[in-house]
Amino acid sequence: MTETRVTENPVPRAASPAAGSAELLLDGVSRSYGDNLAVRSISAEVPASKISVIVGPSGCGKSTLLRIISGLDEPTAGRVEFEGVPVKGVPEGLAMVFQDYSRSLFPWMRVDKNVAFPIKHLPAKERAERVRFAIEEVGLSGKEKLYPWQMSGGMQQRVAIARALASHPKLLLMDEPYASVDAQTRADLEDLLMRIQSELGITVLVVTHDIDESVYLADRIIVLSAPPSVVAEVIDVDLPRPRDHIATKTDPRFVEIRGHVTRLLRSKEHATPV
Amino acid sequence: MKLLHEPLSGRSQAVLGVVGVIGTAAVWEGLIRSGLLDVAGLPLPSGVISGVGDLLPDETFWDAVLFTLGEWMLGLAIATGVGVLLGGLMGAFRSLFVAFEWPVEAFRVLPSVAVGPILVLLIGQGMLPLALTVALSCIWPILLNTMYGVRGTDTTAVMTAKTFGNSDLAVLRKVKIPSALPFAFTGVRIAASIGLLVAVSAELLIGGGDGIGGYILTNTANATDLDLVYAATLVAGVLGVAVNLAMAKVDDVVFGWKKGLAQ
Ligand SMILES: Nc1ncnc2c1ncn2[C@@H]1O[C@H](COP(=O)(O)OP(=O)(O)OP(=O)(O)O)[C@@H](O)[C@H]1O
Ligand SMILES: [Mg+2]
Repeated sequence: MTETRVTENPVPRAASPAAGSAELLLDGVSRSYGDNLAVRSISAEVPASKISVIVGPSGCGKSTLLRIISGLDEPTAGRVEFEGVPVKGVPEGLAMVFQDYSRSLFPWMRVDKNVAFPIKHLPAKERAERVRFAIEEVGLSGKEKLYPWQMSGGMQQRVAIARALASHPKLLLMDEPYASVDAQTRADLEDLLMRIQSELGITVLVVTHDIDESVYLADRIIVLSAPPSVVAEVIDVDLPRPRDHIATKTDPRFVEIRGHVTRLLRSKEHATPV
Repeated sequence: MKLLHEPLSGRSQAVLGVVGVIGTAAVWEGLIRSGLLDVAGLPLPSGVISGVGDLLPDETFWDAVLFTLGEWMLGLAIATGVGVLLGGLMGAFRSLFVAFEWPVEAFRVLPSVAVGPILVLLIGQGMLPLALTVALSCIWPILLNTMYGVRGTDTTAVMTAKTFGNSDLAVLRKVKIPSALPFAFTGVRIAASIGLLVAVSAELLIGGGDGIGGYILTNTANATDLDLVYAATLVAGVLGVAVNLAMAKVDDVVFGWKKGLAQ
């Protein structure tokens, strides 16, 4: 970790690991592919019932880290704990929204079937109710009988989010969920995420390379350096909620934190060679 | 060859197709009648058509057609069942793929019709050895297409299913097999045309006088009515085209979603 460069109004560093409400714990997590060290000793805590955001330059190992947290991949060193239990295989109560959402939806299923996919084991009535609710939450009522490939990118992304919600996750992982939608849709989906998170009280971990988005969404930002990545800093964001695209983003505090994260990502020892 | 850029409407396609067929038949008829083409045994299209006319009320001929159809469908069904199962397993499990890759390659090049006489020796005459011969030639495109379909399942789709707590076997059943089905069906379509060909050939070679092949054999042996033989062949061809069209339709309706498969 580096020293904070902001002097007046210091941006709060995260509380020490003693805090008891950590839902997810990363302890010295590394992952190498052959000689390529993609992730170098990442340690961080993701608090329960909050939105945490991992921000870092492209190729710094964000997707790799999410695959490890979700139990799809194993770290070459270090450990991951979810609710105090070491992660071995996919933990129960997890849902992931993939960076590549169009390939994550099943093209042979209509929207309602895609959303029902994680809850096949439930009784038909409860299942139908959850599907209806999730589709309504993301504003896709009436589109249940479309195939995903008949929809726009933003709509497909909302289907993927609805599917994750229908599973009632304890931990929701999202990998650059808004990278390929237009600015307005992106803003709407960001607000949707914050509304749902506060309604359901779930733990959310979002990966992004967009600094504005990280500050806007986060209770906690985990800033990664360029590869082989380490945690550059963990920042607790004290902006009030509910947040708003105009009010929050013009808040001097927002501007300050954003500037701080930008400097962290630009700083010499972590800068990505262009 | 220049490709057609503007798709033709279904109607003009049908009209042009009919014009093409009639035109070809007319030129053929003209060549023979004018004496430009003089080879014994060549059929006059008009003769073949009247041959078809003679066939239609002939019950033994319809029995033969039904027999061939049954043999073909049975063979195709066996090939589909075994091919999808084996191909699916070989696609899903690396160890099975490695174990069976070479046996499949070896059996694939065996001409199935040559195996026919052995089958007759083993199980006697009847529809079964014929259908098995058909199955032996039909299984390969189905097996290979299913296998590559399963192996080519999108990794993101597979990871998605896993993050929702599905075991490897559940992922195979819920994701890999469904996403491979359009490929398997393409295999079935390819196999269907091969199967009809092999069905009639097998009847000619190892049949007991049943089926369209048997009918053709009987009538050429008598050498009475070659037009009838050509007519029977024509009917078999029309059958093949009809089944192909029906399958294309099924492909469109059931597997229309394959437009949504990532490249
Ligand atoms: N399956 C793999 N095999 C080999 N190397 C890999 C594999 N997956 C990722 N890597 C390497 O690990 C590093 C991190 O990749 P990763 O996809 O996690 O980055 P990322 O931060 O998600 O990037 P982006 O922002 O572009 O999505 C890269 O150098 C990449 O080449
Ligand atoms: Mg990524």
